This record gives sequence, structure tokens and C-alpha cells, in this order.
Amino acid sequence: MIESIILWLLAVLVAPFFSGVILKVKAFFGGKKGPPLLINYYTLIKLFKKGSVYSTSTTVMFKLGPIISLGTALVVLMFLPIAGQDPIFSFKGDILFILYLMGLGRFFVIAAAMDTASPFEGMGAAREAYFPIICEATTFMILIFFYRLTGELQLSAYFTEGNTIELWNLTGAPLLFVVIAFFIILLTENSRVPVDDPATHLELTMIHEVMVLDHSGPDFGLIELGSFCKLFFYSTIVSRLIFPFDFGSSAIGFFVFIAGLIIVYVAVGVTESVIARYRMDKVPQFVLTSFALAFFATIITLEFIK
Amino acid sequence: MILHPVDTILSLVLLSVLFAFGASRLPVLIKVIAFQGIVVSMVPFFIGHDMNAGGMVFTFATLIIRGIIIPMSIYVAIKKVDIKREVEPIIGFHASILCGLGLIVAATYISKQLNIPSISDYKLLFPVAIALLVTGMFLLIARRNAIAMVLGYIMMENGIYLVGTTISIRARHIVEFGILLDILAGVMIMAIILQNIKRTFDDVDTANLRTLKE
Amino acid sequence: MGHFFLSILIILFGGFLSLVLARQVKLMRFTAVFFLSIGCFLGLMDAVLKLIQPGIAGASFRYLNVFSLAFKMDELSGFFLVIIFAICLIAAIYSFHYMENSRNSLRTAVNYFFFSILIASMALVVTAANMITFMLSWEIMSLSSFFLVIYKHHSAESRKAGYLYFIFSHVGAMFIFAAFGIVYGYTGSFGFEDMGSLPETAKILVFIFSFIGFGSKAGVFPFHVWLPHAHPAAPSHISAVMSGVMIKTGIYGIIKMYILLNLHTALFGNIVLFAGVISGILGIVYALGQQDLKRLLAYSSVENIGIILIGLGVGMIGVSSKNPLMAVLGFTGGFLHILNHSIFKSLLFMGAGMVLHKTGTRSIDALGGLLKNMKITGLSVIIGSLAICGLPPFNGFVGEFFIYIGGFKGVALDKSAFVMSCFAIISLAVIGGLALACFTKVIGIAFQGEPRTDAAVNIDEKGPSMLFAMSILACACVIIGIFPKLILWMPVKAVSALGLGIGRVPPEPFGQMAGNITLAATIFLVSVLLVTAIRWFFYRNKTITRSGTWGCGFTQPTVKMQYTGSSYASFILDFFRPAAPLDEDHPKITGRFPLNTYYTSHVNDIAELHMKRVIVNPILFLFDKLRWIQHGDIHLYIGYILLAIILLLFFI
Repeated sequence: MIESIILWLLAVLVAPFFSGVILKVKAFFGGKKGPPLLINYYTLIKLFKKGSVYSTSTTVMFKLGPIISLGTALVVLMFLPIAGQDPIFSFKGDILFILYLMGLGRFFVIAAAMDTASPFEGMGAAREAYFPIICEATTFMILIFFYRLTGELQLSAYFTEGNTIELWNLTGAPLLFVVIAFFIILLTENSRVPVDDPATHLELTMIHEVMVLDHSGPDFGLIELGSFCKLFFYSTIVSRLIFPFDFGSSAIGFFVFIAGLIIVYVAVGVTESVIARYRMDKVPQFVLTSFALAFFATIITLEFIK
Repeated sequence: MILHPVDTILSLVLLSVLFAFGASRLPVLIKVIAFQGIVVSMVPFFIGHDMNAGGMVFTFATLIIRGIIIPMSIYVAIKKVDIKREVEPIIGFHASILCGLGLIVAATYISKQLNIPSISDYKLLFPVAIALLVTGMFLLIARRNAIAMVLGYIMMENGIYLVGTTISIRARHIVEFGILLDILAGVMIMAIILQNIKRTFDDVDTANLRTLKE
Repeated sequence: MGHFFLSILIILFGGFLSLVLARQVKLMRFTAVFFLSIGCFLGLMDAVLKLIQPGIAGASFRYLNVFSLAFKMDELSGFFLVIIFAICLIAAIYSFHYMENSRNSLRTAVNYFFFSILIASMALVVTAANMITFMLSWEIMSLSSFFLVIYKHHSAESRKAGYLYFIFSHVGAMFIFAAFGIVYGYTGSFGFEDMGSLPETAKILVFIFSFIGFGSKAGVFPFHVWLPHAHPAAPSHISAVMSGVMIKTGIYGIIKMYILLNLHTALFGNIVLFAGVISGILGIVYALGQQDLKRLLAYSSVENIGIILIGLGVGMIGVSSKNPLMAVLGFTGGFLHILNHSIFKSLLFMGAGMVLHKTGTRSIDALGGLLKNMKITGLSVIIGSLAICGLPPFNGFVGEFFIYIGGFKGVALDKSAFVMSCFAIISLAVIGGLALACFTKVIGIAFQGEPRTDAAVNIDEKGPSMLFAMSILACACVIIGIFPKLILWMPVKAVSALGLGIGRVPPEPFGQMAGNITLAATIFLVSVLLVTAIRWFFYRNKTITRSGTWGCGFTQPTVKMQYTGSSYASFILDFFRPAAPLDEDHPKITGRFPLNTYYTSHVNDIAELHMKRVIVNPILFLFDKLRWIQHGDIHLYIGYILLAIILLLFFI
């Protein structure tokens, strides 16, 4: 329990660092030196030092947005098995709770964006409401796949100790599809290229960034921290899937886990560097591909496990 | 249970089916079909039975024709004729992907119903073959661009090849090779006809052929 | 049963008294609400006690010495009675201030009169113990709600809605009659008990007929067409009762028939599940496309009926594949959602009623910024929206959680059970996402931002009884969401009394699941408090300024530039274009300085379109051909009567 809490705290603390890795990779591809690896910490500190400007159109929902979005991200991490260790909390069906809790976070971020009466933020909100629908379908398809294999509906039944390697043993190749599908979800849910461009300054082309245009100071810091945690959540799962090995709680296990994490973040950075953002109407097709992949994996597995 | 290589290959074939549905540009679709051709031709290497020297040669030749020559010639053809690069779907991409999923489920179901004994070792083989046949047919129906239709046709051929590999054990290389040469000839002829269609209609939209009606 | 009939009598007395007192408007409203509330409260207490103490109470009367009117109260009817009385109690309280603006006092009195009859007939429907009683109560219920729908009978829209509702409820009733007719043909008795002795094919036919009949009351796609017309037409407290409670009697009918027929084939489960999936997805897609707040809520009822049917379908598949846990989870989830939906849907209708009351418009795109002046209404509607999206820690999540777990149990099965379970899970996920989009639209466009038209400027919220009713329901949403244990025993009792042939229902897993939800919700609330504390810490002694919204460099923004509901939804509707065709009307823009253009769009309901094309138009055509029968000559009409009598005599 104590170990899990320490891991959770560490996860929250290091999440901004890993997001910095993406920036570094992108800078490398652009032939630039890039910002320091700790850039996100500097940004957060700067934001927390500032005051805020609120729009006259806004209500209490605008202030609730950052609180709930960070609150949900923190809770979600509590249920996540980090580096194959037991999470702080876990119960049968916790994954449903987590997925719907993320929905709650999304609801409040959208509501906060609509609160400003800005047409740009409305546009971002409409997209934010749209794409995750398909993502959710994919996630549940993956859950069906996992449930069929393990008979459990619990994050710790998939990602702790020897469970992940057991998944590979049971399926093999189809799990690779799931990894790809999950990576697509990661890109979509965290507003990365090719779905969204976190770096652009053109408000019309963005989804997540445009929704938080009016947030400032500590409020914006909370939102940023929340999105780092969210990215960390998805990356941890992908990392665990690509390095399923179990080393107990030894140091090697952590190194392998961190190596996996870095690979995922670098992969995100490379994707952002080599692929252009899709036209908005192509994005659903891209996300739908992830659903098809998960679906394939399930069908193929059905053929084997009788 | 770690998968047999054949099953891994077949999963890749299914993946290519999926991407074929999602591909909106011809070059992408051609690449997908080329990939599919290579992967499909590799199946006999792993399937084990009667792989003598002759078989090896034939299989390699199939791989080269299926995976390289045919796609290349189509690619060159569209470059030369300067064809529209969109596949011009009749059924939209989202619907296509969902249809594809439905077709694959149907293929799995049908292959279970048929229950052919000789292929029971490779559970995925027959469903994949049927899926290829059906999706090839689907591309023929759902795409207006002539090249995309030809690619659908090639996909069907890949499916037939897979069925052939599984059912006929003896002398299958000869038969297969014969079919493949036919296709090759067909593709060549098509490239020539395309140039003519293009010259006449300024487009390769097959809907234009309706104007030939009396 | 005595208390039950007493409460019914009090309710009817209240309705009757309102007719008598029609002249004294205020007194009339007060007495009507008083008696309705007392009656509902008594009924509620009685129903809860019935659920606590098992045991079946019954009563029967003879009518005209031919028909026996029999009533029976078991756990299932107890469960539905709780919902009926609880929601009607709150709706009656709400109506006290809602009806205050009504200028025509007689109409208000008539409204209360039929409202009381509606409550009484719904209670009788769920306690009826034979076919005659059931159909009698059913028809009274349909007719009384018809009169409530045409409350504003001077407006053509209301009359049309009422007409549509009348046709649908009677065609539906005809199907139920047909189903009961088949049963009577086989058994020769009007009792419910003999239904189990039918041959299997007859059972299937009876189930399908009654599914169509009850489905048209419940609003199952494609029989939902009346719903989005009738609900906006009725006064809001009536919409709340109709949407929250009355359509559930259709669900009650389906469950009752399933139990009585006692045929555990997978076919029933598949039909119910499939209908649920289609209603769920299309219902919420159409809801997303609406611009009228109450129409949107009506379509959302179609969606929620879909979720309930998915739950019941999962349960039925569990029964047919001999998986007791799946069966119980599915049924319990469905029952929980019946209860939860009645709470948050009536809450939302009441919120919409408040908005309509104060602004005079139902169009979402005409509103905006309501949250600033309508704090309690806004907050209640936000809570209701969160609950209807199925988000934790609100009550909508609890029911869906159980249905999900039940569905996942089915994933481990084979063949059709596996496919249907996957279907159920994926569609629930998609419905959840779409509901989120739909209700962020309601909140974001109507309650947030800046007022889009003058209708939404400078409004207030008044009417203590309305605010009180909404607050009660909003609190219920939160409390049930955090402590589902408080109400979980009711659906569990009702399900275990169904007699599904799966033995005793163990209560332990439910307690555990409810405990887990409580735990998780608590963790979440603590975490939110923690973040609030952090936020407070960072904002100490900081300068906080207010200014206009950042316009991305544009310095002259107007309220008209805000995103509208239609544009918010258009992305998603585009994806569902084949199922939700869009009619657009706008003139082509010409010239360098175009002036005065307009744009209107309307999302078509394919059920409505095709029903008109396939059924209504041919029937109209046929009847047009039969026009010659109508002469206007009274002698000929008497001749018709004679002819009919002679013909009928031949058959006897």
C-alpha cells in the first residue's frame, strides 16, 4: 500500500518530465536544440506564480473545469498498476469506473469551454465531444478482448505482475493489434498529431488547446498537470503491453518500465514529427481504424480460444 | 500459445483488408495490395507440405509477380495516364470500414459452416480466404474508379490463391501459376484499355461507361 | 391492499375537487396539489412497506356480474408503484407554481382532474391481475394522458401531437388486444396465470405482439414517433410524469409478459436487446439533432428506454443460457435504470419547464447564459445531465455499471450470446459518448455563454415549489450515485421475486458492488477537495481581474458569433447521416455585400419518414377510394347500421 502511494506520487511528479521528452524529440527532428527536458516544470511553476484573468461571460463552471479534470486524472492514476505493481485501489469493474470518470472530466472541460461564449472554444468543444465516442467504442472492444482472455474486468488483472505476459502467451500476434489500437487511442485522447496539434497557434485547427484558451494562471496549470497525468496513464499501459516481463519489484523491473515509457513518448514524438495533422473529416476514419484493429484481434482470438 | 507463423501472416492479411477499406488514394491502395500479395504468397513456405525445389521456385515467382510486378505495372499505368488519385467511393469510408468488419464476421461464420477437413490445422486460413473474396467483391461494388475495381479483383484472386493453397495439395503450383499469368496479362491489357478510356472520356470513372448505352 | 385503494381514492378525490373548485383558482390548485400529494405519499409508503415485507396482497371485485376486476400486489408491482407515486408526488408539488400563470382556470382544473386519473390508472395498471382489469386500466391511462397532451388545444401543434399520440396508443393497444386474444383463444380464461400453458409458437407470437404494443407505449424505435411530439405539447410536470413514469408501464408490460409466458428462449432476449440497441443509439442521435429542448429530452427518453431494454435483454439472454449471475445483473441493472431514469428525466423536464416558464421559448439556440440568473435550476439541470450521461458519482452510472458487468458475463459465453453481449457493450459505450455530447450541448448552449436573444436576458427563477421539487430530485441523483446501497435493495427484491427459474438471488455481490461504487465515489470527492485546496492555496493574495473573452484578435465580438447548438452537433450528425438525414434550407449567397440571408436545418427521423411513406400514405390512398361511402344522407347511414347488424347476426 505504502509502495503504491509512493509510486502514485512519483507518477504525478514525473509525468511533466516525460511530456518534455516529446518536445525534445520533435526538436531533434526539426534540427533544433529544443527546450530543456524540464521545461514543463518551469512552465507549471511560472503558471502557479501568476494570478488569473476571468472572462465576464464565465460562471462557476469555468472554475470547476480545471479542478475536476485534474481530480479525475489523479483518481485514474490511483487505479493504475504502475510498473506492474499493485495500484492503490482496485475492485472488480474498476475499469468501467475509470473510463466513465474520464468522461466526467471531459464533460467539465467541455462545459468550461462553452462557458466563455467564444466561437473558437465552441468549435474545439464540439470536436472534443465527437472523437472520444469512437475511442470509447475501441476501448470497450479491447476490454471485451481482455475479458475473453482473462475473465476479469479489472486493471490489475491485466497489468500487474505476470498477468501481462500471460496475455501474450494466450494470444500472440493479435495483441500487437491491440497495442496499435491503444496507441491510436493515446494519440486521440491526448490530442496529439495526427488528430490534433498541441503546438499550433492557429485556433481553428486545434481541439484541446483551443478549449483552454481562456484559462490562465494556476487554473491553466491544473489543466496542464491533468493532461500530463492523462498521457502518463495511457503511456503506462502501452509501455506495460510492449514490455510485459515480470521482475518482481526489483530495480530492473523499474528500469525496463521506464525504458518502455520513454519508447512510447519517443514514439509519440516521432509520430508528431513525421506525420502531418489530418484534415478534420479524416480523423474519425483514423480513430475508427483503431476500433477495427481491436475488433480483428477479438475475432482472431476467438478462432483460437475455444 | 504463441501463434504459428502462418496465423501471424494471416493476421497481417486481415490487417491489409482493413487498410484497403480505409484507403482513399490509389497509390495507398496499390501499396496495400502489394503488401497483401507478398504476404499471401509467403503462406506456402510455412504451410509445410510438398515444398520441393520446384515448389520453391514457383512460389517465389508468384511472390514476385503478385507482390511486385502487378502492383508496379498498375502504379506505372496510373502515373502515365495521369488518373485521378481518389478512389471515388460509392459507399463512404466509415461505412466501408464497418461493412468490412461485418463481412469478416460473416466470413468467419461461413467458414465454420463449411467445415472443410483438410484445413483444420490452420483455423484462420479459410476465414481469411473467404474474407478476401468477399471484400474484393465489395471493392468492386463500392468503388467507382476503374483502377480501384481492378485492385478489388486482384484481392479476390489473392483469396482464391489462399483457398487453392489449402484445398488442392498436388499440382497446385501449376494451376495457380496459370491463373496468375492470366491476371498478369489482364492487368497489362487493362493498362492499355485505360489509356483509351482516358483518351475518350478524360476520366476513368466507370459511371461514364453508362453513356455508351444506346 | 386497503391502504393502496385508500390512496387511489384520495388522489381521485383531489382531482374531482379541483373541478368543483374551478372558480377559486388558488384554492383549487392548493387543494388539488394537497390531495394528490397526500395520496401519493400514502401510496408510496404502502408500496415501500410491501417491498420490505414480502407477501402478496390481492383484491377482486365483480363488475356487471360478468367480468371480475382483480388486483394483486407483488414485489414487481411494488417496485413500479414506488416509482409512480414518488415521481407523481414531486410532479404534483412542482405543478403548484408551474400552473400559476394559467389564465384559464377551468383548463387548469381539467388538467388536475386528468392528472389524478392518470396517476390512479398507472397504479392500477401495475397491480392488475387479469387481462380485463389490465386493459381497462391501460385504456384509462392512455385516454387521460391524451387529454393532458392536448392541454393547449387552441394550438394546432398541440392538437396534431395529441392526434398522433391517440393513434399510436390505440394501435399499440390493438396489438396488446391481439396478444391477449390469442391467449384467450387457447385458454378460454382472462386470467394471467394460464398463459404459461400455451404452446411454444403461440407464446412467441404473443410475445412479439405484446412487445410491439407495449413498445409503442414505451417509445421503442420505430414506434417512438409520438413521443417527441406529445412530450413538448404537454405542460412540463405532465411531460415529467409521462416521460419519467408513464412510458415505464410499457416496460412493465414487457417484463410481465416475459414472466407470465415463462418461455426461456434466447429469441426473446435477442429481440429485446436488439430493439434496445437500436432505440438507444438512434434515440440519442436524434436527440442531438433537436433544437427544441423538450423534444430533445423526449428523444433522450427513447435512448434511455433503449438502455433499459439492453439491460433486460442481457438478463433474458442470461436466463436462456443458464447463467444466473448474468441474468440477475442484467435485470437488476435494467430495473435500476428504470428507477434512475424516472428521477433524472423528470428533473430535466422540470428544469426545461422552468426555462420555458420564464423565457417563453423552448428553442435551445435562442437561449444562453441562463446559469447566471437561474442558479438552482441551472445546477439541478447540470446534475441531471451528468446523471443521464451515466457519469459517476451520479445515479445514472449505477444502473449502467450493473448492465455492463452483466454484459461482460455474457462475453464469456458462446455463439449468439457472445455476439449479442459484445453488441450490447459496444453500443452502451457509444450511447454514453453520444449522451455526453448531447447534454454538453444542452448545458453549454442553453445555460452557458451569453444570451443569444432577448428572451434569455434578465430572467429570474421564482416559484418555491418548483425549485423545491427540482432540488429534491437533484439531491436524489447525487445521493443514489454515491450510496447506491440505499435503493439497491428495491430492484434486487423485485428481480428475485420474478421467478426466473434461477433459484435464490444471492445479495452479497450486489452489496459488494454497491460498496465499491461508494468507495470509488468517495475517493473521487476527496481528490476533488484536495485539488480545490491546492487551487485555493495558489490563489491566496493573487490579483484576479475580469475582462472580455479572448476573441483571438477579434475585438468586436457579438453574442451572435457564439457556437450554436446545430453547429455543435453537426460534426457528429454527419457521421450518422444515413440514419439521420438532414434537411437544409438557405438561399444561395450572391453579390459582394449579401444582406438578410437565413439558414434553417432539420434532422429527419427515419422512422417517421418511412412510416409515412410505407403505412400512412397507402392507408390514406385506400381511404380516399372509400370516400363514396360517406354521403351525408342520414337514411343511408341507418341503412348501413341495419346492414352491419344483419351481417353480424350471421356470425353469431
